Amino acid sequence: MAAQTKHDWADDEDLEETTAPTTTDLPPPQKIQNKDGTWTIIEYRYNELNQKVKATRRVRFVVRREVVNPRVAERKTWAKFGDSASDPAGPATDTTTVGENIIFRPSVNWRSEAKDEANDPNAQAMKDKLRDKKVKCRICNGEHFTARCPYKDTMAPIGEAGAADVAAGMGDEPAAAGPASAGTAGPGKKGSYVPPALRAGAGAQGERMGGKYGERDDLATLRVTNVSEMAEEQELRDMFERFGRVTRVFLAKDRDTGLAKGFAFISYADRDDAVKACNKMDGFGFRHLILRVEFAKKAQ
Amino acid sequence: MRPILLSGHERALTQVRYNPDGDLIFSVSKDQQICVWFAHNGERLGTYRGHQGAIWTIDVDPTSTILASGSADNTIRLWDIKTGKCLKTWDFPTAVKRVEFNEDGTQLLGVTEKRMGHMGTIVVLDVKIDVEAEQTDEKALTIVCEESKATVAGWSYLSKYIIAGHEDGSISQFDGKSGDLLYNFPIHELNQQITDLQWSQDRTYFITSSKDKTAKLISAKELEVFKSYATDTPLNSAAIAPNKDFVILGGGQAAMDVTTTSARQGKFEARFYHKIFEDEIGRVRGHFGPLNTVAADPTGKGYASGGEDGYVRVHAFDKGYYDFMYEVERERANKLAAAAATAMA
Repeated sequence: MAAQTKHDWADDEDLEETTAPTTTDLPPPQKIQNKDGTWTIIEYRYNELNQKVKATRRVRFVVRREVVNPRVAERKTWAKFGDSASDPAGPATDTTTVGENIIFRPSVNWRSEAKDEANDPNAQAMKDKLRDKKVKCRICNGEHFTARCPYKDTMAPIGEAGAADVAAGMGDEPAAAGPASAGTAGPGKKGSYVPPALRAGAGAQGERMGGKYGERDDLATLRVTNVSEMAEEQELRDMFERFGRVTRVFLAKDRDTGLAKGFAFISYADRDDAVKACNKMDGFGFRHLILRVEFAKKAQ
Repeated sequence: MRPILLSGHERALTQVRYNPDGDLIFSVSKDQQICVWFAHNGERLGTYRGHQGAIWTIDVDPTSTILASGSADNTIRLWDIKTGKCLKTWDFPTAVKRVEFNEDGTQLLGVTEKRMGHMGTIVVLDVKIDVEAEQTDEKALTIVCEESKATVAGWSYLSKYIIAGHEDGSISQFDGKSGDLLYNFPIHELNQQITDLQWSQDRTYFITSSKDKTAKLISAKELEVFKSYATDTPLNSAAIAPNKDFVILGGGQAAMDVTTTSARQGKFEARFYHKIFEDEIGRVRGHFGPLNTVAADPTGKGYASGGEDGYVRVHAFDKGYYDFMYEVERERANKLAAAAATAMA
């Protein structure tokens, strides 16, 4: 054995252990040809626990013929040279490695497929999030968007007015339509911003900035809508004076055309007068239009 | 597919070439070293030492006996492929950017750089494909590019024409014997350099890649643009895949911008386009820098790409590559098969 002429002293024991028994104790390997053309190879060896192991293998030899370009075959026998001159046969690990697996499958709609792949996780996550969310109309609680509600034109202002009234502390106002919608749009709704003045615990008369008209009593202010374009402030004052002393009449007008925008505010000195006026004047016909009168929203 | 990574170079690759049998891959880089590899397992056969500067280009003769290389040390060298011995050195006033053997290996062209008061030229050298033979010092032909320097050049079928791509995006056709300029057409965008020129197998048409983000398939005889492949990145190289109707394009943003962008943004991928329909049909990622060169295996079994990152990646195609067909192609194949069956009956 060539290796034993130059072996390290540290390997001494191992060598004796492994080489000595194989040459003496173990039976020689056997090779038997079977009837079906396979070979049975029986070999003996010692495992690491120094136990004798018999290994039986059945092997079939298949000859596969491959036609190789003779020039290519000749070149495979060439000796290595240059920096590779001292490399052993086969690919050297320092210059040749195998990269990770890359999936390359040509496809006509390659671009869209790649895009789908990239967007998929996000889209899926969004879908999962929205799975048990239902579209809910704020007006009628139906399963459609508020903008698509069939009652949009008729019901929306009522609900909002109700909400505003409740927020304004109109306890005595008949608020039959209020609570249901107020629950969704009002301060009780979770997640949406609630201004400090409307938060629970904030007094109805919290600190408030002095407006243009000074300290105004919103509690006695009516909002009048569906007012004719031709209306004048004086006409409104005349109509509403009948129920009590009116402190202020404001008719919104377009700055350019001078025509009324269709809504006005009437402030009464006394709240009882305002309630009376609200009840009487709501639905009053004025200049071919039917007025709608309700308590004004609290100034925000 | 699992690509084989060849890491024999320490600097950016400049060109990768297969020999005509497709069993050897030659790679050159800016690190003054030429490597030759076995294509089937990536084993390095050897290196060719001698150049004193960055090597820009390499080509192998049709019989895989000798190798020509052009370098920034102003030389073209001939090498014995088998032993790595340098057979001949030609000196030039400026760097050599491209070398190419003609179809029968009797002549070698070299493209020299325009610098230091020298005009860019295309020189033609007579060579003998024999390791023992004495190579001549004389230049058979010198074409001076007065308008715009040539960046790439190659021999057409039967060595009839020399086709050159210029820095200004134009393509010239010279007579292969006399060196007379026959045509010069602005093919790519003005002043967008042509970065590569590779031939189809029969050398009747070629593909060019340009910094203007397109590659074009052009006939050698009339310089007619057959097809144009538009991409979203400057291209450094383009190759025509044999056996399948594909072209392989390599590019990526300029090397100077590489450090500021991620691998994904940098578009360091080999792009496969259908040769006829001009559609992009897939990409192969893997490089960390722009692809400076791509080469198709002449046997059609794979391709190799060399990047600014110093790696050569050798890919062997999967079944999906061979099976891919457009719907119209499949219909036509079926129709032909049916016709053949009826003809037999």
